[in-house]
Amino acid sequence: MKMDRKKPDLQHEALKKSPFQVPEGYFESFAERLQQRMKEEESSSVPVRRIGTTTRWLAMAAAVLAAALITTSIIRLSTTNGSEGIYPDLAILEQMQVLEDDRYLMEFLEEESVELDENEAFASQAIEYLAMNDVEMDLIFE
Amino acid sequence: MQEWDDRDIIEGSRIQGREELAFNQLLAKYQERLYWHIRKIVIDHDDADDVLQNTMIKVWRSLADFRSESGLYTWLYRIATNEALSFLKQKKKKAFAPWVDVEAQMSENLEADPWFNGDDIQLKLQQAILKLPEKQRIVFNMKYFDQMKYEDMSEVLGTSVGALKASYHHAVKKIESMLDED
Repeated sequence: MKMDRKKPDLQHEALKKSPFQVPEGYFESFAERLQQRMKEEESSSVPVRRIGTTTRWLAMAAAVLAAALITTSIIRLSTTNGSEGIYPDLAILEQMQVLEDDRYLMEFLEEESVELDENEAFASQAIEYLAMNDVEMDLIFE
Repeated sequence: MQEWDDRDIIEGSRIQGREELAFNQLLAKYQERLYWHIRKIVIDHDDADDVLQNTMIKVWRSLADFRSESGLYTWLYRIATNEALSFLKQKKKKAFAPWVDVEAQMSENLEADPWFNGDDIQLKLQQAILKLPEKQRIVFNMKYFDQMKYEDMSEVLGTSVGALKASYHHAVKKIESMLDED
C-alpha cells in the first residue's frame, strides 16, 4: 500500500525501515580495526623506568598534591552534577521524597494517562515517569 | 553466517586461551545490531563507529566477569546506550557555546549526510525524533524501529514497563503532531 506523502502514517511499514547506511565493507572490517586500536592503546602505555631518591620525593609530593586536587574536583562535580548513569536526574528526583499520597502528582499522572502498577509503590513509579519524560520540575513541585 | 549461542560465548570467555575466540563470536553476532542502536542515538556514522569501538572495548575488558543474571543481549545494549549517551554529553560539553543545540545541529547535518538515504518523509521523521527529550528518543527508537519488547527495554534502561509504555505513547503523540504541522 502506498503512503500518503503529505500526511505520513507512523503505522506504515515503509517508515519503519532504517534510512541510514554504512560505507561498503564497514561491518566486515570492523573486528580488524577494533583489534588495531586495542593494540595501539596497549603499546602507547608509558614504559616504567627507575627513578632516583630526590626524584622519588618530588614525585610523592606531586602525587599528594594531585590527589588533593582530584578529590576536591570530584567533590565539586558530585555536588553539581549528581550521579552519573543513564538517568542522572533520577538520583535528584529520588531525593525529592515524593509522598505516596501526593494528590497533585496523582492528578498529573492521571491527566497524562500513565498506567500505574498496583503492586509497585506510587512514588517510585511517579519518579520514573518524571525522569523518563524530562518533566519540568517546577510544574510538579510548586 | 553461523550465529553463536550466548551461553557458549560466555563460557568461552572464561576459559584461558579461548577468550579471543569468544569475543570474536560475540562481535560477529552483535556488532551490527549494536551499531544500528547507537547510530540512531548519535546519528552520524563516524560518531557511531567511535561509540561502537568504545562499547566493544568495554565489553572485552569485562566479558570474563559477566554474570548471567541479566541476558547478554540486554547487558550489551545497556553498555552501548550508556556509551552513546556519554558521547552526546561530551559533545554538548565541547560545543563552543552553552546555547548551541547539539540535537538541532545533528538534525541539520542529516540533510547533507552521505550515509543518510531516506526520502523527505523519513528525513522529517528523523528530525521530529531529534526534537524529543533524549531518553524518550531512545525509547521511541527501540520500540518503533527495533520492535524491542518492553520487558527487554526495561532491563536495558532500568525503568519500569509502565513508565516505558507511557513514554512511548507520548513520543508517538508528539511525533504525529510534529509531522502534521509540516
